[in-house]
Amino acid sequence: MSNLLATMSLATGALAAEQSALTETANNVANVNTPGYSRKQPQFGENPPIVLGQLTFGTGVSLENAASIRDPILQIRIQQETGTQGELSAFVNAMQQVQTQFNNQGNDIGTQLSALFASISQLSTSPASIALRQGVLTAASNLASSISTTANNLESQQANLDLSVTQSVDQVNTLTQQIAKVNGQIAALENLHQDASAFIDQRDVLVGQLSNLIDVSQIKTESQISLTTSNGTALVAGTQAFTLTTQPDPSGLEHIFSQGNDVTSQLNSGQLGGLLQIRDHKIPSLLVSLNTLAAGISNSFNAANASGFDLNGHQGADIFVPPAASGAGAAAGMAVAITDPALIAASSDGSAGSNGNLANFSAIHDQTTFNGETPSDFYGSLIFSIGNDVSSGSIEQQASQLVLQQLQDQRGSISGVSLDEEAGNLVQYQRAYDAAARVVDTVNQMLETLINMGTT
Amino acid sequence: MSSIRVNPNVLPDLLSALAQTRQQESTATLELATGSRINQPSDDPAGAAQIVSNRDLGSQADSFLRSITNVNGLLQTADSTLSSVVTALQRAISLGVQGANGTLSSSDRADVAGELSGIQQQLISLANTSYQGEFIFAGTATTQPFVSSSTSSSGISYQGNAGTNSVQVGSNYSLQINQAGSQIFSAAGGDVFQSVADLITALQTNSGIGNAVTAVRGAFDHVTSQRVFYGNAVNQLNAQQNYLNSEKVDLSNAANSIAGADIAKTAATLNQAEVALNAELAAMGKISQNSLFDYLK
Repeated sequence: MSNLLATMSLATGALAAEQSALTETANNVANVNTPGYSRKQPQFGENPPIVLGQLTFGTGVSLENAASIRDPILQIRIQQETGTQGELSAFVNAMQQVQTQFNNQGNDIGTQLSALFASISQLSTSPASIALRQGVLTAASNLASSISTTANNLESQQANLDLSVTQSVDQVNTLTQQIAKVNGQIAALENLHQDASAFIDQRDVLVGQLSNLIDVSQIKTESQISLTTSNGTALVAGTQAFTLTTQPDPSGLEHIFSQGNDVTSQLNSGQLGGLLQIRDHKIPSLLVSLNTLAAGISNSFNAANASGFDLNGHQGADIFVPPAASGAGAAAGMAVAITDPALIAASSDGSAGSNGNLANFSAIHDQTTFNGETPSDFYGSLIFSIGNDVSSGSIEQQASQLVLQQLQDQRGSISGVSLDEEAGNLVQYQRAYDAAARVVDTVNQMLETLINMGTT
Repeated sequence: MSSIRVNPNVLPDLLSALAQTRQQESTATLELATGSRINQPSDDPAGAAQIVSNRDLGSQADSFLRSITNVNGLLQTADSTLSSVVTALQRAISLGVQGANGTLSSSDRADVAGELSGIQQQLISLANTSYQGEFIFAGTATTQPFVSSSTSSSGISYQGNAGTNSVQVGSNYSLQINQAGSQIFSAAGGDVFQSVADLITALQTNSGIGNAVTAVRGAFDHVTSQRVFYGNAVNQLNAQQNYLNSEKVDLSNAANSIAGADIAKTAATLNQAEVALNAELAAMGKISQNSLFDYLK
């Protein structure tokens, strides 16, 4: 048979359990806006009963644990999508900057190219006119400066991206060190069978930040996680972080090394992946195209000028500074080689009033020697490829944004703190506490009755 | 009972919707402001590439039109000059016919010859006409084409050359814009200065006047036939000018259909974006204002 003191102890146990549950609720409410926080759900457990003869008595309740509600698989999906999102937003941002170089604002390469041919056409109506010859030189020099400015801007953007790469690598190193440290704390707590959920939340946030920067793949061991890039470059193993280093290659661009190996070309997700794609692929390929255009125009105009005679009756010399045979640096170095308008070889027969050679200049307009296209179409194709990169990148980014948002909604529906729910719990625990207190009170009165039994 | 738990924190979703609506609003505003739906290559990559080609063709048509205007001035000057040459030669012919009349005294013939010398000077000056500072009958040379010469039988020698210039006035369409002065004024069987000089000599010596007049007629016929070249060129330029003007209209229509913003549609989009924006802002104002906490006492 039971006794009053046992009942009293049962009720005070309930008081303690409800109070602890209330504390967890309070903690949930307090962390309602904490990023990465997973709500905790108090779990009550019935105490083991005692058996007296044929009767079994309950011994009350205790708070077994307050488990964090989280879905680790979902967390991994979020991290992967964060990587994609990081890559795409770095790509789109950088590509949008590239694109501004090619906006049609009246001083772009396409407009200047048309203006050069228009000036040649004007000169043909009065080939000895110094003013019209000057017009051709000015148009040529505008085109040269438009192409070289664009190429130089692309190169300086490449240098800026290079700086961003170094900064991102620093951030990756900071994060991997933090993750390694948190791994250690989690292991220490879990070895003592203590609740490490606060650190697990923190680690999820850190891994999320890391995924935004670099391609991350997770391997979970006992209580720790190991992180590698998707092709196996180690980032974190348990409590050890592997530092990435950077070293400039011969062209001056920073390459990323992990334990002595160049892993630059293997990083294709996260912000770093996006930055590297623009720095190492998009900008260099644009520069190659600009070089093709610049070298093609310079060589064609020089050849056309050489096939005629200038105002002094001499064979025409180079109009543009001749580019290197390989075409390397042709765009950045494009410049007009002459300042004397008389040196334009308009004449086909040496007489000053002949315009016969200008047809050779005009013919360049329709010459399909720029990767099989005319200069204007070649430039048009360049515009298309830039526009297409930005536009398809933006569409992918929006799609990835939607996926990430849905995943985060899903995470929120599992782990997020709902104030309604917490309010309900609060009332529930409070009422239970009140009731338990009433039991204590009742038992107390009964004990009093019992104690006073003999005295009256 | 277990009910479906929804994400209690909808703020990020709302913020992202809000950002998207603001993006729509700013795109529509930009399109309305510029009247173009392609404001950067990514707005429509294929369209942006077409615009490059469209603008290039437009610029080319503009430059052909400017060339036509310049060349037209040159051709019309040449044509009216040759018209004056023809008139002067007509006068020379009628003076020659008058001089051939046997009733004229030698002093009368000297007067006629004197008038013909004046005509000869006028013809030389016409043959040396320049347009915008350049001699139009010097071939492709830039020197004065017809100068006095004691070694030439006509007293005039040609200092220009036989070169001609062509100007491109359309893609793959070049038009010759001049005839060499030697071909117009000094052709065999139609030499203007030689025939007039011979007529003057014939009048002064009163011999062979009839033959000399026939030679001037030959020169007259030759110059008249040469003048047709300029008339034809002017006609061809006018036709090409009309063609280029209509091509420009076509190009501008094409540019408009490639890049022109549909104003009505864009304005409607802007309006919708504003409505959506207001709704989203209202939703954000309401959300998370209320929770069960408000109802517990």
